[in-house]
Amino acid sequence: MTHSRTPGHATPRGLNRRALIKAAGASVLALGLGISTVQAAKLGYPEKEELIFGFIKLTDMAPLAIAYEKGYFEDEGLYVKLEAQANWKVLLDGVIDGRLDGAHMLAGQPLAATIGYGTQAHIITPFSMDLNGNGITVSNAVWEEMKPNIPKQADGKPVHPIKADALKPVVDKYKAEGKPFKMGMVFPVSTHNYELRYWLAAGGINPGYYAPHKGDTSGQIQADALLSVTPPPQMPATLEAGTIYGYCVGEPWNQQAVFKGIGVPVITDYEIWKNNPEKVFGITAEFAEKYPNTTIRVTRALIRAARWLDENNNANRPEAVKILSQPNYVGADEKVIANSMTGTFEYEKGDKRPVPDFNVFYRYYATYPFYSDAIWYLTQMRRWGQIAEAKPDSWYHEVAKKVYRPDIYKLAAESLIAEGKVKPEEMPDFATETGYKPPEKTFIDGIVYDGRHPTEYIDQFPIGLKADQTL
Amino acid sequence: MKAQLEITGMSMTFPTPKGPFVALEDVNLKVARGEFVSLIGHSGCGKSTVLNVVAGLYRATRGGVVVKGREVSEPGPDRAVVFQNHSLLPWLTAYENVELAVKQVFGPRSPAPRSKKEIREWVEHNLRLVHMDHAMHKRPDEISGGMKQRVGIARALAMQPDILLMDEPFGALDALTRAHMQDALMEIQAELNNTVIMITHDVDEAVLLSDRIVMMTNGPAATIGEILKVDLPRPRNRLALAEDPDYNHLRSEVLRFLYEKQRKVEPLKPARSQGSASKNTESAA
Amino acid sequence: MSRVITLFRNTLALEGQPGAGLNQWISRITLPLAGIAVFLMLWSFAARQIDTSLGAFPGPQAVATQFVNLYNEHVAEREKEAAFYERQEKRNAARVAEDPDYVPKIRPYTGKETFLDQIGTSLVTVMSGFLLGALLAIPLGIAIGLSPTLSQAVNPVIQVFKPVSPLAWLPLVTMVVSALYVSDDPLVSKSFLNSMITVTLCCLWPMVVNTSVGVASVDKDLVNVSRVLKLSTLRHVQKIVLPSAIPMIFTGMRLSLGVAWMVLIAAEMLAQNPGLGKFVWDEFQNGSSQSLSRIMAAVLVIGFIGFLLDRSMLWLQRRASWDKSVATS
Repeated sequence: MTHSRTPGHATPRGLNRRALIKAAGASVLALGLGISTVQAAKLGYPEKEELIFGFIKLTDMAPLAIAYEKGYFEDEGLYVKLEAQANWKVLLDGVIDGRLDGAHMLAGQPLAATIGYGTQAHIITPFSMDLNGNGITVSNAVWEEMKPNIPKQADGKPVHPIKADALKPVVDKYKAEGKPFKMGMVFPVSTHNYELRYWLAAGGINPGYYAPHKGDTSGQIQADALLSVTPPPQMPATLEAGTIYGYCVGEPWNQQAVFKGIGVPVITDYEIWKNNPEKVFGITAEFAEKYPNTTIRVTRALIRAARWLDENNNANRPEAVKILSQPNYVGADEKVIANSMTGTFEYEKGDKRPVPDFNVFYRYYATYPFYSDAIWYLTQMRRWGQIAEAKPDSWYHEVAKKVYRPDIYKLAAESLIAEGKVKPEEMPDFATETGYKPPEKTFIDGIVYDGRHPTEYIDQFPIGLKADQTL
Repeated sequence: MKAQLEITGMSMTFPTPKGPFVALEDVNLKVARGEFVSLIGHSGCGKSTVLNVVAGLYRATRGGVVVKGREVSEPGPDRAVVFQNHSLLPWLTAYENVELAVKQVFGPRSPAPRSKKEIREWVEHNLRLVHMDHAMHKRPDEISGGMKQRVGIARALAMQPDILLMDEPFGALDALTRAHMQDALMEIQAELNNTVIMITHDVDEAVLLSDRIVMMTNGPAATIGEILKVDLPRPRNRLALAEDPDYNHLRSEVLRFLYEKQRKVEPLKPARSQGSASKNTESAA
Repeated sequence: MSRVITLFRNTLALEGQPGAGLNQWISRITLPLAGIAVFLMLWSFAARQIDTSLGAFPGPQAVATQFVNLYNEHVAEREKEAAFYERQEKRNAARVAEDPDYVPKIRPYTGKETFLDQIGTSLVTVMSGFLLGALLAIPLGIAIGLSPTLSQAVNPVIQVFKPVSPLAWLPLVTMVVSALYVSDDPLVSKSFLNSMITVTLCCLWPMVVNTSVGVASVDKDLVNVSRVLKLSTLRHVQKIVLPSAIPMIFTGMRLSLGVAWMVLIAAEMLAQNPGLGKFVWDEFQNGSSQSLSRIMAAVLVIGFIGFLLDRSMLWLQRRASWDKSVATS
């Protein structure tokens, strides 16, 4: 941990922090100074009690559903209504214009909104909702063409992880035939877009560049595979209709394709980047400032929900599956949701393999908003041209600190620890935590990611803009 | 005898897409108080136009109408009209139809206000006069054509008009009902001594009811051809008159006027059907 | 259908003769029943032939099961609601004990809307939008019908806006409502206003047009009666024009309500506003093995409610209108 930047220091959020600290009480401040044995003073009552949170029908919205169903929101004196949203754009607009108080968001959304890619608005996240949970699915026809290129195990099943190298000949063939190879992802700044691009590029397929400074936000410049947006719940139907040949989406929409027999999931994001950060809980900076107690209390409820989801080695998952299968949450069939939520993942029909960490909600500090996670998304935005111009390392760190708010998380977590609802060892050591994970070496292409040096990282990719390259 | 109503030099020209159409040319007529005058003529001769000008619904192009010394410029309840097709308000009962007219003439804001009770009695009296007291709370669509026409007459009478204008009042009725209505009208007229101007197509009706029959020439530029005085004694009885040589003479006079002097050659058309199909033939002229 | 009405009248007229009346009553009941039975059979047969990626197309039995499920879910949700209020009261009491200045407040239930709730929402929305539309359209239609000048001036505007699908208005309505309806403690939700105003916009034109035509086409003879009676303008409108235009006004209202119901469902689907439309859309998005049969259940309910709305307008029309011949289906 060479960087000594601790959360909150030398950041332009003095007023906000003061408000939060005042709200949380003096003893929490004492905790922040490392005197962890002092009993925390009682947290203030929420300033705003009636809240509406938006979500997209995906299993990773589970912390919200659980916090509601298990009464964690009510324990905080919060009366929360959960509303499914049509797509990620509607959801983000809802948070920005105040129709929603907060929402289950793509990690890229608060970052993109804050730097003004798409709708400009200062969105922050005090809570990371999960790790992993996405998959890439291709149509049956494409799968048949890919299959000969994939090495087989002794039992005849394909060797995992399946790399995009197997897809490249198929894409080339389509290209030679003059057919554009179209794939779906859920949003331009979605995890799915970056994961799909990462996987394709790692296999030598160029997913295309964005050039917002030239007004081109299609992301298809120099593309071998053309990526476009489809809302998650509509992915299977769009694949079935033949509009796209594959997609990257969260659960249950990959397992749904297997059940419906319309496509084959080829890889999970766990295999692309082990324990990658996924959704976050997003609110406006204004909300956090105006309602500091409410913000901390929402974070507390979500931490408890995430804990419940992973408790006792996923013992609660079957119950969670039942809740998620209700029509007002995810609404897909219980067995479809169970397929991925209970530690397995079904690839080709019948090829069900254990992926115990496919959905991680709590362990590995999954809920802590790491700056390095934010920076990874920014590097990918730069890599594919969504950030059109070269930026210095300092810019990446500043943006991450503006959006990711471990300071709020810390207040919530410490009060929970003080109440005995959370064990200290489940949390990062707040005294020393910098918000930067150690260099990560688990990417499918073997490239090492160190959030402290973003520009250096960007320069390593064979396909993608270099840190100082402009289209 | 001083004329109660005087038509002087009445001419009427309608603009049409093909240029002006002269419907009436120089019509002159004086009608005395209590007199029953029929207007007869072929269709399209402008009978209804004359009536409408007298009613004030049309303005004559030249000349005009003077009633009781005052020129007619607009419609009014002093010249009550019994319309060809009764024109009752279909959403009101017989009683309410008459009441609407009575309230207008004798209501609180009228020159001769009557009390609520008086109004009610007056409405009922008039309905009784036309033998409609048994069905006065029925709506027009619940009673027969003859009954509707009777309510229309009651409505007109209830306004106590100086002049009663009747536009083919029985044209749409079957022969039996018509005879019935004619008798009723004669009775009422004998009792109230109204001045009546009635348009008719029916020669028998004209001779039976009228004091004078005004026979009109064919249009365009129709005018009064001849006026026939009917000096048959009253009360008149249709059965007795059928054998009466004077009656038959008068009847043939009218027929001669219509079918010799003003013979009108018209292409054969289907017989006029009852009801609405007939109502515009005259007024359209 | 007018034949059925005649038949109905005849039946009433023949009440004294039980034999003839009974026969007609029997055919009035058995024929529709037979029609429904044939439909159910065809549906059941056809459903088995269609295989979707969500399983077989739902037949009558699957849909019937869903009706039961939807009702049970409603009951369960109401129980949850009661528990919610109970917990809230306890929590309020605890807080008052701790913080005496606190003014306890009962917050509305935060749970999901059940199918029955969505039906209620849709009905309230359609009726509100429809009534607002009638309130605007009928006076406007009367004014246009009475004044040929106004009619000529307004006509081009009406002709242009009338054929616009109200759904095209939806985005504009949404934006305008967001901009103008700003309140910290709103009386009604924005989504309700959006749906309602969209419904109003589509209700407007048939009612304006029919009212103005009804007013303008008062029988000339009745106008002459009014002139002979020297009715004042106000009394003329009150006694002659309005009663005479009532059948047309109601025809317009009936058309409007029918369109309103269809538009509302579509608007709710498009804008994700609460109501039956949202229920259908949500189920479609869920893509569970029960989704199709639940959607089919909603389709039947939507149709049935549309039918009931039409019947009630017809009933009203018959009650309010003197001209029974207009009030046929």
